[in-house]
Amino acid sequence: MRRKLTIGGLAIVLVLAIFIPSVLWLHQRVAHYKTNYRTPLDPTIMVPGSSASQDRFDTLITQLREETKTAHSVLKVKVATNGQLSYTGSIRRGDNQPFIVIAFENNHDGYTNINKQAQWLNVAFKSLVKTYHFNHFSALGHSNGGLILSLFLENYFAQTKNVTIDRLMTIATPYNMESDSTTTETDMLKELIAGRSKLPKNLTVYSVAGTENYSSDGTVPANSVNQGKYVFQNHVAHYTQITVTGDDTTHSDLPQNKQIVLLIRQYLLQETVPEKSPTKKRRRVSRAADVRDAGLQ
Amino acid sequence: MQALWRFNQRVSHWRAMRVIKQALRVTYPFILVMTLISAIGQSCLTTNGFFFQIYHIGQWLPGLDLWQGAFQVMGLVVNNVVAVIVAFATGYFLALTYKRSGLAVGLVSALAFLTLNVNYEVLDQTKRAGEQGAQFVENNLGPQGIFLAIIVGLSVGWFVSKLLARTTKWHWFERLTLTGRVAWALVIVLVLNVLIGYGLSWLSEGGLNGLVYLGTNALITNPGHYGVMILAVTTFNNLMWWLGLIGPVGLAGNNSVRSLQNLAAAVQHGSVWHAPYPVTLHTLGDAYANFGGAGMTLALIIAIWLGSRQIHYRRIATQTFLPNLVNLNNATLLGLPVLYNPILLIPFLIAPAVNITLAWCAITWKLVPPMAYPMPRTTPGPLMAYLGTGGDWRALLLSLVCLTVSVLIYLPFVKLLNQEDQEATDDAA
Repeated sequence: MRRKLTIGGLAIVLVLAIFIPSVLWLHQRVAHYKTNYRTPLDPTIMVPGSSASQDRFDTLITQLREETKTAHSVLKVKVATNGQLSYTGSIRRGDNQPFIVIAFENNHDGYTNINKQAQWLNVAFKSLVKTYHFNHFSALGHSNGGLILSLFLENYFAQTKNVTIDRLMTIATPYNMESDSTTTETDMLKELIAGRSKLPKNLTVYSVAGTENYSSDGTVPANSVNQGKYVFQNHVAHYTQITVTGDDTTHSDLPQNKQIVLLIRQYLLQETVPEKSPTKKRRRVSRAADVRDAGLQ
Repeated sequence: MQALWRFNQRVSHWRAMRVIKQALRVTYPFILVMTLISAIGQSCLTTNGFFFQIYHIGQWLPGLDLWQGAFQVMGLVVNNVVAVIVAFATGYFLALTYKRSGLAVGLVSALAFLTLNVNYEVLDQTKRAGEQGAQFVENNLGPQGIFLAIIVGLSVGWFVSKLLARTTKWHWFERLTLTGRVAWALVIVLVLNVLIGYGLSWLSEGGLNGLVYLGTNALITNPGHYGVMILAVTTFNNLMWWLGLIGPVGLAGNNSVRSLQNLAAAVQHGSVWHAPYPVTLHTLGDAYANFGGAGMTLALIIAIWLGSRQIHYRRIATQTFLPNLVNLNNATLLGLPVLYNPILLIPFLIAPAVNITLAWCAITWKLVPPMAYPMPRTTPGPLMAYLGTGGDWRALLLSLVCLTVSVLIYLPFVKLLNQEDQEATDDAA
């Protein structure tokens, strides 16, 4: 009788000694998953500038596909003025780095229009998260597309819980609209600066400017791109400004500029871009020859 | 039930069955030590071990690397030769039944087993040193190789015993001593096995064992998300275990694509109910039909505690309880033995099948959410589903129901085995 009691007591102690710490551990673990879990799906969301359609990035995407040898699939979303979405293309199964281009039926320039477009972007974004279950992404904005993305991140992004943005690259985005001044702030810049504390703290931002001459890419003043520092600097994790000059640096050529394509691959898609040194190539050829010789022997 | 008992009696009088049972019982202490070492090593000392994580052992145990290394080495030593021991013991006991020199025959069968598992890539001259790997296919010498070891032990044991018996009558061999006859037998066996082994190495890199595993793997790697398929695969897998083909399929599949998608959904919605694939091998088999390892052996141990009057069984149940708690049941399977025991085969297949059916019903009727959070392989069976669902009490309840049902399934068969004890004592008296 006494022996049975001891065995029973021991069993209860054993069960509790396993059960209680494992429940405590469970809560840590679930919390850990919730904060650290990253979906394999890691899309890049591209937003074109004013007057451009969802096909704006086609040349860029073709170039990226050729150079990276990975067949990034493309989904294009067009948001109508009433918020209705129409899709072309699709995310291929098993492709974890697809491109999603989001364009707007009303793609006009101007402070109010851009604000509306940020709102429409939010509609499209929420629907995409719901359909494809990704919880992190990167974004690329050309021209006013960068403004739309910035406004979206400040005003609407917090509505979608559990999703984080890793990197944002803006190409020739006029943070101070068409103003060349370094002192006067347009309404757009004022709004962006007012909302900058709501930007995601872990975000890395690259702002790329192209210049034909010392002051502009032909459409957007370099000074206006530079004003981005007042929005991002010290409010996101990293803010890097890059200026590209040389061939193909007019405003509309920038997304397919060779240098910028390379920057996109390096910084936005985080590829390890191989060096293209001739010596290395030769060495690889000779090694292949070695193998062939060995096979013959 | 009595018919089953009679069948068991008839089978256990077969020479091969008696030999296998004896060989496994001799091997048991080695396996027990090995399993205890790997149970502690895997659950308490590896970074994804269950007790390592819940007790945060990494934070307070000094000299962690040293402990890990020591346990790894100790585990390796026994783990990598267990099948050789089985091959030896099978040959030894078989020779004894033919009244031949057990040691000689046992050694020949151990060597024969080794020749079948030579890594023939070592001979490949075109590969540089270091690329060829070890001289033996080490995986096959561990618990994985037990099935092959038994087959080799039996066939070589039979062949050599017959050869030794026959050669005594031949005129030319009469002049030879035992040494000479064993040497001749060894040469013949080695030549045969090298031919077989070399031939097989063209087919598969892992030797004969690798071939068997390749075949079974191809059959059952991807059972999809249909309940019937999962049931069939688990039952087939358990049958393989019973034959000594331990672990052809890694059933503990935290990493399959579906499990990852389930996890993604759970993390995003904050609840496991939204898993896109509620029915997978992982959510049914790992969660509810793998307590103690293949065949719900944790339930077998409890059933023995409750219903067995055999001291031998009770002792083994108690000794192997800890490894079973962390889902390592090799010692139980070989010690009782469950392997090649026709009576225990029935609950060994039925208990997991019933549990999978129960779990399937509960999950498809949305009574219980599927598990989505990855759990360490060494998580105690009854806690697996509870923790994997993020602490859902309904999952814990279902686990306990499954455990009870399995114990009830095992109990009559364990009681049937009590007769063995009585008859044995009757014989003695």
